[in-house]
Amino acid sequence: MTSSASMLKPAGGAGASPLPPRVSDWLRASLRDGSVIRWTGAAGALIPVAALVFILIILGVKAWPAIGYNGWGFFTGRVWSIGNLYGNPTSSGGVEHLPGAQFGALPSIIGTLGSSAIALVVAVPVSLGTALVIVERLPRGLSSIVGAFLELLAGLPSVVIGLWGGVTFGPFIARDVTPFIARNMPNVPVLNYFRGEVGNGQGMLTSGLVLALMVTPIIAATTRDLIRQVPILPREGAIALGMSEFETARKVTLPWVGGGVIGAVVLGLGRALGETMAVAMTCGAALGSVPTNIYGTMTTIAATVVQTVDGAFQDGTGFALRSLAELCLVLMVITLATNILARLLVRRVSGTALPVGRGL
Amino acid sequence: MSLEAGQDKQPGSRPEPLATAVGKTPATATVSDDLRAASFRTTDLSLGFGQRTILNNITVEIKRGGITALIGATGSGKTTLLRTFNRMNDKVSGYRHTGDVLLDDVSIWDSRVDLMSLRRRVGMLFQRPNPFPMSILDNVVSGVKAHRMASRSGMRAIAEQRLAEVGLWDAVSERLKDSPFRLSGGQQQLLCLARALAIDPEVLLLDEPTSSLDPVATASIEALIKKLVPKITVVIVTHNLAQAVRVSDQTMFLNKGRLVEAGPTKQIFEDPAQDETAQYVSGHFG
Repeated sequence: MTSSASMLKPAGGAGASPLPPRVSDWLRASLRDGSVIRWTGAAGALIPVAALVFILIILGVKAWPAIGYNGWGFFTGRVWSIGNLYGNPTSSGGVEHLPGAQFGALPSIIGTLGSSAIALVVAVPVSLGTALVIVERLPRGLSSIVGAFLELLAGLPSVVIGLWGGVTFGPFIARDVTPFIARNMPNVPVLNYFRGEVGNGQGMLTSGLVLALMVTPIIAATTRDLIRQVPILPREGAIALGMSEFETARKVTLPWVGGGVIGAVVLGLGRALGETMAVAMTCGAALGSVPTNIYGTMTTIAATVVQTVDGAFQDGTGFALRSLAELCLVLMVITLATNILARLLVRRVSGTALPVGRGL
Repeated sequence: MSLEAGQDKQPGSRPEPLATAVGKTPATATVSDDLRAASFRTTDLSLGFGQRTILNNITVEIKRGGITALIGATGSGKTTLLRTFNRMNDKVSGYRHTGDVLLDDVSIWDSRVDLMSLRRRVGMLFQRPNPFPMSILDNVVSGVKAHRMASRSGMRAIAEQRLAEVGLWDAVSERLKDSPFRLSGGQQQLLCLARALAIDPEVLLLDEPTSSLDPVATASIEALIKKLVPKITVVIVTHNLAQAVRVSDQTMFLNKGRLVEAGPTKQIFEDPAQDETAQYVSGHFG
């Protein structure tokens, strides 16, 4: 090993072929002083950052003409139409588009936020309960089996869940569950969204519940791993003080991992906001429809994109695609904003009474 | 392990006659009725987890309103015995016991005994400080809240009283809303003591409460423990024989799950009845 290095040193070594040892020598030296690790590490660290920035820039550049043409009406309009495909492209303000093109994202934005909210309202308590039961209640063997199922559920393709939601689950709740709720819900603010027509099972509630099923394993598995890290001593302290298991979980175990749970919820929210296939198959594919109650058909940003992208390619002016890029930009901004909000929340929570750092 | 397993096979066989505290402590009679300190009595208590037997035929009485030290080598079962008094072992997998533990003549396993109330009467302090992830104030009153022992508005007064009682008030009065994890180890343990005292326990179980603390903090904890009696019965597990001598008036020596000897601390350390005890307290022991 070292002989090749020492062979290089004598000036003008006649017998040694100069190139191969030189390369290996350089490699060995840079490995030893750590520069290889440093540069690959730096590159590895930069790639995710660069990818995010790159995607944002490309989306922004693509969407720019659409942002100018659609204006603020993009956020208030309800009609999503690429215009007359057979008409002559017209130009307004230098932007070419099909005649009658009109792009309003309001239904998509409301559908996205609504269905994700339903998903979280259902999934968060279920996930926390699941995680607590797995760690603290179930015997070791059973808890690893349940945990394995949780991870399998997380890996289930969304198209499978979507098909089940659209064909089986949606019609089931529309026939056997929601009519009962709609009839008996009092006509007061907020709750009156649960009244009225229940539809055929395609709509916001079905999408929200299907999303809940998809994010529950994400939140539960992450929370389970966090709860496993909580030391036994504070938990025993609570038990010894005469607290019930529920109080111990609520007052000690969950607050101990509080910041991490918020992170887990954001992970799930990210999935819910962006989920495409399962929602497209259960939302009723109602472009331009803002549901009047929780059962109403609707669309989300992701569902709108996947439903209209085919038609958008037919638009010779490319304007429909630009509008879709703008729609995607909105989705990215929503996702990033919730992420940042959660980060601030984590900082606030950890700042008050939580152990500094998780490793205690 | 193998030795304990061997004992397990003959649970009926008694070890050599024990010099237990039963009958030797008429002290209970001298404690006046207005004191709320309770006392424990175990009768033929054997206890184990799965195949392992930890405690063997322990019959002993904890002196009411006194400080009883449990001493013994690692693995002697003293912590297990301590944790039996507030039923912390019940949930451990494979847990089993025979015999009984009486708190003021009522079995702690009696169906009428509410577990939460038992733990309110029998407080505990652990080997290392274990504050909860909430503010200092909330830590002190967490037990009070759980047992609904005071109104919301009364919490702060209780916290102040208990923190003052353990000598922590001056140090934390300005930062009651802060995290307890920024306090020193000794201060954290004092906080846990204040938390345990806030629910008015009749017995306080101490599981090597100073093993993670420096000498100064240890001294302050010990001084506090002495002030708790005779209002509260104190049972302390300690590896530190000097500490047992300093704080306790009764001592129980356990070895390999058997109660070897129990009696007044002075007698155990100066004139033990058993050779095993003499060897242990003089330091000639595993």
